[in-house]
Amino acid sequence: MVAQPRVLIVMLLSMIVLALLPGCTTSVVVKGRVPTPLVHKIPARVAVHYPEAFKNYQYKEVIKGAGTWDINLGAQNLAFFRNLIQAMFTQVEEVAEPSLTADEMQRLDGILVPEIVKFGFLVPEISGLKFYSVSIEYQIVMYNSLGEKTGEWNIVGYGKSEGGVFAADDALSKATALAIRDGGARLAIGLADQPGVQVWLNNRDE
Amino acid sequence: MVQNISNARCSLMLAMLLWTSLFTLLSGCVSSRIEQTRHADTGISPDEVAVLLGRASYNDKQTEASFTDCVADVMSQEPNPIRLITQAEFQDRMYPWFEPRTAPSSVAELGQIFAQPGVKERIEEAKIRYLAWIDGDTITIKSGGSMSCTISTFGAGCLGVSYWEEDASYEASIWDIQTMTETGQISAEATGTSYLAGLVIPIPILARPGNVTCKQLANQIKDFIIGDQ
Repeated sequence: MVAQPRVLIVMLLSMIVLALLPGCTTSVVVKGRVPTPLVHKIPARVAVHYPEAFKNYQYKEVIKGAGTWDINLGAQNLAFFRNLIQAMFTQVEEVAEPSLTADEMQRLDGILVPEIVKFGFLVPEISGLKFYSVSIEYQIVMYNSLGEKTGEWNIVGYGKSEGGVFAADDALSKATALAIRDGGARLAIGLADQPGVQVWLNNRDE
Repeated sequence: MVQNISNARCSLMLAMLLWTSLFTLLSGCVSSRIEQTRHADTGISPDEVAVLLGRASYNDKQTEASFTDCVADVMSQEPNPIRLITQAEFQDRMYPWFEPRTAPSSVAELGQIFAQPGVKERIEEAKIRYLAWIDGDTITIKSGGSMSCTISTFGAGCLGVSYWEEDASYEASIWDIQTMTETGQISAEATGTSYLAGLVIPIPILARPGNVTCKQLANQIKDFIIGDQ
C-alpha cells in the first residue's frame, strides 16, 4: 500500500471512527447561541405560525463513503426564529393555525409563516475542503389581515465550520447553527425592504 | 552468528538515530516574513478593548477560527496584554451587522452600520476602541514522496518518506473606532515543510507555519495598537 501521509492518517482515523460508530450513523443535535437583532422594528402587529415540520425539522441523508447523517435542527431553529421575529415587529403573537377568524384578525395586521424548503450539507470527505458546510433555504409566506397571501420570500442561509475526523458532529452542528444565523440575518435586514411587505404595510395604513 | 545479529541491530539503530536526528534538524525549517503599513497614530488606554474578527467568505477559503483564537490568546498574554472581546461575543452583541455576509468591508460602511439602532451605544458601552480584521488561510502548496506500510503475521512497519509544504498567509487590517479610520495593515507569511518518515514506525516531523504566523502577527498587532505609549 503506497499513499500520501495525510491520506494514510485520514484513512486510519476514519476506519477507527467508523468502527466506533454504531451503524455508521452520525447523529447531530444542533445547538447554538440565540442573539437578538439590532434592527428597527417594523411597525406592525403580526401573528406567526410555525408549522410542525419547521418546529421539528430533521434531515437524514446517506452519503456514499461518508456514512449516514441524521441532523436535528428543529429546536435551535425554532428558538432562533422566535427570538428573531419577536425583535423585528412591534407586536408578535404565536398562533397554532395559519388561518384565523375575522375576529382574531381584527387585532392583527398580518400573519407570517416560515418554512424550511431545502437543506443541504457537505462534509470534507466529499468536498475535499477542510470545512463542513451547510445551506438552508427558508421560505417566508406573508398574509394580510384578510387572509390573502401578500408575498413570499425565499432566503438562503450558509454556514461553515472547521472540523476534524473525531468532531464531525460538533462541526456540523456549528455549521448548521451558523446557517440558521445567516438566514436570520438576511431576514432581519431585508424583510422590511421586500416589495410585498411594503405594499402590505402601505395598504394596511389606508 | 550472534555477533552478526548484534552488528545488524547496531547498524539498524544507528541508521534510525541518524534518520531521526536529520529530521529533527529539519523540523524547525519554517521561513517567515512580516510587513507593516501605518496610516495613523494609535494608542489604547487600560479600560479600552479591541476585537479580533476573522474574515469569512462562502468560497473554498476562510480565515480559520482556530487561527483567530490563537492570535487572541497571544495578544492577551504578558507583556503588555490587550483586553479583547471574543469574536462570538461581539457578533452576538452586534447581530446581524457583523456576520460573514453583512460585515462592513470598509470604515465607510462601518459608519452606515453605526446608524442602526443600538449599534453605536453597544460599541461605546463595551469601550471598544479597535477592530482588527484578519484575512487569510493556511494551504498546502506542494506534497510528494511516498511511504508504504505493511501489516503481516510477523508484525507491522512502514518505510519511506513523505513531505508536504504549507504556506500560511494572513493580513490584519486595524480600524480605530474612535477616529473612524483605518490605522494600518500588517501582513505575515510563513512557509514550512513537514515530513513523515517511515522507519518501522512512522515519525512525523511537523513544521507549523500557521503557528509561527499566528505568534508573529499577534505580537505585531499588539505593538501596533500600543504604539508609542
